[in-house]
Amino acid sequence: MLDLRVPTGFFFAIVGLILVAMGVFAPSERAALTDSNVNLYCGLVMLAFGLIMLGLSRLSKHEDS
Amino acid sequence: MKLAVVDYAILAIYFGFVLGIGWRLRSKISTSGDFLTSGRSVPVWITSLAFLSANLGAQELVGMSGQGAKYGIMTAHFYWVGAIPAMIFVGLFMMPFYWASRARSVPEYLKLRFDEKTRALNALAFAVMTVFSSGISMYALGLLLHLILGWSFTASVLCSAAIVLAYTFLGGLTSAIYNEVLQFFLIVMGFSPLAIMAVTKAGGWGGMAARLKTMTLPNGMNGDVMTHSWKYIAHTNQNPMGIEIFGLVAGLGFVLSFGYWCTNFLVIQRAMAANSASAARRTPVIAALPKMLLPFIIIVPGIAALALSQMALGYVLPMKAGGPDYDQVLTTLMAQFYPAGMLGIGLTGLMASFMSGMAGNVTAFNTVFTYDIYQAYIRPGRADHHYLTVARVTTVVGVALSICCAYVAQYYNSIMDLLQLVFSFVNAPLFGTFLLGMFWKRSSGHGAFWGLLSGMASAGIAHGCTVAEGKGGWITGADAAFYHFPSTMAQNFWMSIVAFTMCTLVTILVSLATKPRPESELTGLVYGLTELKHDEGVAWYKRPVPLAIVIAAMALFLNFWFA
Repeated sequence: MLDLRVPTGFFFAIVGLILVAMGVFAPSERAALTDSNVNLYCGLVMLAFGLIMLGLSRLSKHEDS
Repeated sequence: MKLAVVDYAILAIYFGFVLGIGWRLRSKISTSGDFLTSGRSVPVWITSLAFLSANLGAQELVGMSGQGAKYGIMTAHFYWVGAIPAMIFVGLFMMPFYWASRARSVPEYLKLRFDEKTRALNALAFAVMTVFSSGISMYALGLLLHLILGWSFTASVLCSAAIVLAYTFLGGLTSAIYNEVLQFFLIVMGFSPLAIMAVTKAGGWGGMAARLKTMTLPNGMNGDVMTHSWKYIAHTNQNPMGIEIFGLVAGLGFVLSFGYWCTNFLVIQRAMAANSASAARRTPVIAALPKMLLPFIIIVPGIAALALSQMALGYVLPMKAGGPDYDQVLTTLMAQFYPAGMLGIGLTGLMASFMSGMAGNVTAFNTVFTYDIYQAYIRPGRADHHYLTVARVTTVVGVALSICCAYVAQYYNSIMDLLQLVFSFVNAPLFGTFLLGMFWKRSSGHGAFWGLLSGMASAGIAHGCTVAEGKGGWITGADAAFYHFPSTMAQNFWMSIVAFTMCTLVTILVSLATKPRPESELTGLVYGLTELKHDEGVAWYKRPVPLAIVIAAMALFLNFWFA
């Protein structure tokens, strides 16, 4: 059966990278009430979440074999 | 609201992953059981999040944040009173019977426990209800996207329906469940930053409470009601919801929420897909943890929006003719706080919530139709691959019917109001039937059937004899109504109390007058005749009961903290 952590991990890693890139290359991209570089911070969180998911899936595959 | 290229890119990537998951799971499907019930093989963390996510539609996301701005933290009663106790109850006390009966659906359990006519009544009511609710939520999404982005109603409805159809058609229930988990993560990631930013900007919870306390709400009440969930509940004229404590606890907390969480196949189906009896019991209990935290990312931003509108920031509540347009609170906040990039995530989260809600309805509909209507009454006794084909066709038909309903809703808004009301009649008495069926072996099929019917009828009569906000009173006429409720919410709560009481009474009386089923036929279906497994020697967090105690304590704490 497909390990759901793999697609979830890839999805959030990719989307996180896009947001981090937005945060780094277009830091002045702001909405009316935005105070911080929200793209950068949220991107980092999503990237980390994605990598953790991928890591967990690798770990359990390692244990199975 | 204007989207940038990056926002469209994020939306496209999300659609790609959703379809990809369906495509990868297609080879897993070889029997109707694989397609409709996931072959009881899904890990517990996945079923738990899907259990929650199938219930978390776009209407809830948009509606509850709007209610946050309208009613304040009292809206959290729909979670802390109206969901958590019922979720714990269904896990601990009802899942063992659903699981031990080997029933494939809730109506099938009714057939095993009672008789054919009770099942037929429930299956038909449920099938109609799921199609209409997915149609109504599709309509809500189409309307919202048209309003905020200017997208065409038809294009957004057809496009999102096509994607849901594609992945449920390919991978069946497993695909719907897997995507619901991805959708849940996306909703959390997409909306929690909004909650954090809006609350911070409004001065934190304390700052919000202080600011609201000094303001007068559009209805003339003091803003202090916005930050207390229990303080103003003693009398209906003290709080904007127009409810009091008995109606709230008995109507919402007991009848409505237990009726929904314990008997609605849409959510039960997710728990039944779990890979063991213990996992099935733990599914609703584990789901209760994120459920009780959802108010912080759904309702609190709504309250923050009201506080922000009192500050000189240039943020005003969205308006329509006759007052604030609460359904647009969430999207206006997104437009104010999210730059290109995060805006794409937020919008994708909104689409994701819509899809998870719709896929939940579609997968529940095709199972009930295939097993409880087609296999039971139209063509029994065929080979399994025949039913697999029927299930696939039903998926397509279900989506097509929902699209039709979305258009009906667009043209006849008041019909939808009426239908939603009818659904509340249908659901309310059902919990009485299940409670007696699972815990009183004397209750009989005739008792259940007539109890259910009279419960529904009494709810209708109660609605016809009372008036709230100009609704109801269609029997006596609005002027001669026996009782005027301060709000439709209060009317709903009391109607459900009436329906439940009637259903229980009639079921007991008719059961006592009719012949019960012999005990040998009730093994695995009723308390006292079902062997309950105790999982000793397993870590506490893998056992349903200790887990439930921890979760219940946390919910109690939240109620006190925000009282």
